[in-house]
Formats: sequence, structure tokens, C-alpha cells
Amino acid sequence: MKTLIKRNTKLFFKDKGMFFTSLITPLILLVLYATFLGNVYEQSFTSALPDTLNIPQKLIDGCVGGQLISSILAVSCVTVAFCSNMLMVQDKANGSIKDFTVSPIKPSKLALGYYFSTLISTLIICLAATAVCLCYVAAVCWYLSAGDVLLLILDVFLLVMFGTALSSIINFFLSTQGQISAVGTVISSGYGFICGAYMPISQFSETLQKIISFLPGTYGTSLVRNHAMRGVFAEMSAQGFPKEVIEAIKDSIDCNLYFLDNKVGIYAMYIVLVLSVAVLIAVYIFMNVMKSRKTK
Amino acid sequence: MKNIIEINNLSKSFSEIKAVDDLSFKVKEGELFAFLGVNGAGKSTTINIICGQLKKDSGSVIINGCDLDGNRDSIKSEIGVVFQNSVLDKALSVKDNLESRAALYGITGKAFGDRLNGLSLLLDFKDLLKRSVGKLSGGQRRRIDIARALLSRPKILILDEPTTGLDPQTRKLLWSVIGDLRKNENMTVMLTTHYMEEAAEADYVVILDSGKIAAEGTPLELKNTYTGDFITLYGVSDEEVKALGVPFEAIKEAFRLSVKNTRQATELIINYPEIFRDYEITKGKMDDIFLAVTGRSLTGGNEK
Repeated sequence: MKTLIKRNTKLFFKDKGMFFTSLITPLILLVLYATFLGNVYEQSFTSALPDTLNIPQKLIDGCVGGQLISSILAVSCVTVAFCSNMLMVQDKANGSIKDFTVSPIKPSKLALGYYFSTLISTLIICLAATAVCLCYVAAVCWYLSAGDVLLLILDVFLLVMFGTALSSIINFFLSTQGQISAVGTVISSGYGFICGAYMPISQFSETLQKIISFLPGTYGTSLVRNHAMRGVFAEMSAQGFPKEVIEAIKDSIDCNLYFLDNKVGIYAMYIVLVLSVAVLIAVYIFMNVMKSRKTK
Repeated sequence: MKNIIEINNLSKSFSEIKAVDDLSFKVKEGELFAFLGVNGAGKSTTINIICGQLKKDSGSVIINGCDLDGNRDSIKSEIGVVFQNSVLDKALSVKDNLESRAALYGITGKAFGDRLNGLSLLLDFKDLLKRSVGKLSGGQRRRIDIARALLSRPKILILDEPTTGLDPQTRKLLWSVIGDLRKNENMTVMLTTHYMEEAAEADYVVILDSGKIAAEGTPLELKNTYTGDFITLYGVSDEEVKALGVPFEAIKEAFRLSVKNTRQATELIINYPEIFRDYEITKGKMDDIFLAVTGRSLTGGNEK
């Protein structure tokens, strides 16, 4: 499997188009967000606060910056995984997969070979994107501790695992370049909404909020947002912001998530994400084994 | 010689279409076995079943004494396949490609180094190891395809139209290598080809038509069964040829006479020595056999 992972990863980085598309996606998102959505986030944040509160600009910048990078990272971890996992479909389209299936390699090893190589390449790109995002936060206003940064990296890692597993299952059914382009477009444009990255879930209707609360990606977004903004909330608390106001802000930007009206804690979010990754990987391997059995 | 491949009553359908219909044949160890048929005759389906790529509907496939059902993985190591189109990674170097494929058979580290060295000498590609597969010529790429198929030291080499699109010199080189492999390692070669002259070199030929065997035998048996002999007669007039009473056609500076067999040719020569001053006798070609058996011709990759 080690050689397969090496082969897949090498192919990904040798394909300049695939690599650079994946790499620039989060960077483009950051530029677009900062240019077009920064002000919207700021206005929406300040308008939600009572007029009696005098908020320093640094704190607003920190809050907007944290919200911005958490949105970008939550979306990128999944969309970049879909981009990186194109090789699985390309191998089907150009017949390379036949070269593997005529050999005695187990289908589960082949499946995991694709999974881990996609995980590695997506992780490299998403960690680079995280570094850029942290530089952006440092430029606007830095409230993060070393622990926050480490937890943010852990969140990115888990979300990449989740995105890779999800893309592996969806790409399993695809066999042409056209199909993967279509799916890539749908995921890029749709995932950000259903995971609460483009718009906070709290702004959706109650029914939609309930439906979205069943999707594990939502909790990944919330984890990233919680860790990207923990420092800002700590600073607000230190500056004497009422606890109710801070909680209201957390509710409005999905730092607090509710599953059937029960508040979901940080540890529960981790459990949801880890379990969903495990289930998705198990389903992916099962599908590959079943497909292989169909030829026996 | 023992049978290395035994196919018994093999059938495979795709919806209403019977791609392979109750097919049975045997391939002897060390043999060059040719599979002929127009597109859709069932060649690829049969090969895909043998390679474990497709599930059969019924029948049995025995490879080297083991039933494919239940021994798929061990059988896969005994079969090397050269696909019609190269399926190697064009962006990777020759060495990287072969390394990743060798690992599928558990050949890694020093074992891979030794195998790579042996194959690069055999197929003469030592100087290509660092080149990207995408930058190789068609002939060079074909050599690497064959090297990939030989990585696991298979007992059976399946070649699916291996020389289509190659120049004559490269085709000659490939057949020379395959000939050496058969001679030195007693390797069985199963070939599908559209080049009739390649099929003519086979030890045994099966012609498939609509998923069934239309004809089978050695090239000589097929020639004797499905075509007659041809006499090319030089330096005679039209009247002289007509006097022989056999079908003929005028060709450049000669006439081509069709006779049932070599015996009839001999009788004609004995009875008309004054006409047979300059001549040659040839057996029918594989093209003629294919035409006689299927009603279609198959020359150089084009069904007519």
C-alpha cells in the first residue's frame, strides 16, 4: 500500500493543473472573502450588538478575521479533497485501474491507497492554506494562543479526513472527467451552505437548521470556528462584555450548535466528526470489496 | 505438453447480447495461442474473464490446474497482461511505473531492483528508466508495457493486440523478445491480433464469431480445411491457363490459379508440364481462412 500511496501522491503533484487548482482554491477564497465579505461580516456583527456597547475596532477585526478564516478552512478541507481525489476517477477513465485489478492486490488496500494519498495531498494544501489564513489573522488582529493554533490544526486534520472519506465515496460512482467536474462544481458551490460556512446556520429556517444538524460537516465548521475565535471571545470577556452578549454572538455565528434543542459541546463535536470519518471509511472499503466480489 | 488454460462451456451475456456463448478450448503450456475475431466477437470478454476482470455467467476456467473460482488471487500472479492501449502512468518515469506495479505483487526493494535489471536488459530499456512514459515513442512504451506484464514472472502472457500501430521494426523486435521468452522460459502466450501474418505464426488458432468458435486448429490445419492452394503461373498466355480448367485470376505478369489442395496442384503440373515452366505453389493465407469461416475479412486492423 505504501508504494501505491507514493504513486498516487507523486501523480497528484506531477499534475500541475490538479495541484495548482487545489492550492489556489483556498487562496482565492481568502482574497474574495476579505475583499467582498469582510465588510458584510463586520456590519452584521456590529449591528447585532447593543448600541450601549463600545467595541474596540481591534476586537471587531479579530472577530471578523476569525469568522472569515474558519469559513474558508471549513470549506477548503472538503472541496480540496474532492479536487485531490480526482486521480481515482482518472484511473478509471484512462484504464489504469485495470492494471491494478489484474494483480492480486486486495480491493481494500487499493481503496485505502487512494484514501491516504488524497489525505496527504489535501493535508499539505490545507495546512498551507491554514498558514496563509493565520498570517492574515496576524495582519488584522491576533488573539490566538498556541493551544488554539494546535487545535485549529487538529480540526483541519479531522475535516480533511472527513472530506477525503466523503469524496472517496462519491467519486467511487464516477468514471469520467465530465462527471467529476460536475460533482466538483456542485460540491464547491453547495457544501459551504450546508456546513454553515458561507452563512451561519442560525440564519436558516428552523426546519432547515434541524436537517443540517444531522450533517457531520456542520460540527467540523463549528469546531474550526470555536478555535479560531476562542481568543476573541476571551478578550471580550476580559473587557467586561456581558456573558449573555458573548453567548448570543456565539449562537449567531454557529460557535454554539444545537441538536434537537440540546447544545452540542466541543467534545461531542469531536466525537461526531471522528465517528463519521470512521463510518465513511468503513462504507468506502465495503463498497470496494463488494464491487470486487461482483467480478468473482 | 499439459494444458495450462482450460475453458469449459464458458458463457457471458450483457443484457440480451451473448458475448461469449458456450465457449470451450484448451491452451497447451509454452504454446503461442492466437485468438481471432472481429470487434464484438467475444475475444476481450473471454480475456477479461480469464484475468478476473469480469464475472462469468457459467462454465469453468482452469488455469495451470487451478479453478479460477476460489483461486483468483494466486491465478492473477501467474498471468501477465499487455493491454491494447498502454495503461501506465504517463506523468511518471519508467522506473516509478514499474516500481508501483511490482509492489502489487509484493516485489519490492532488492527483489524489484534485480527484476528491473533483468527486464531492462531483456527488453533493452536501461537508458529509458528515468524518462517519463508519456515522452516515449510507441515502440518504447510497448516494451515497457511488456516489462510490466513480466514483472511477476507469469506463466501466461496475454497480449491484446500488442502490435497495433507499431512500426514494422518495433513489431519485429517485440516478436523476437516474445519468441525468446517462450523458448527460454516456456512461457505460454495468448494473443489477440488483427494482423493475420502474426496469427499465422501461432501454434494454435481459434477464430471466434458472435461469441462462438467458428474454427480452430493449427494454421496448417485451418489452411487445409478452409482454403485450397494457389499456384502462381508465370510466362503463359490466357488461352493456356483457360485450358487447365481451374479458376484463376490475372495478376501482374502472372496468373493465380485456385486448386483444392496440393494433390490437385501436383496432378496439374504432371499433366501439363509444357505450361508449368515457371511457377510457385502457396497455401491459402490466414485472411482467406478468416474470410471463408466468418464471411468477413480482417486485415491490418480493419474489418471489411
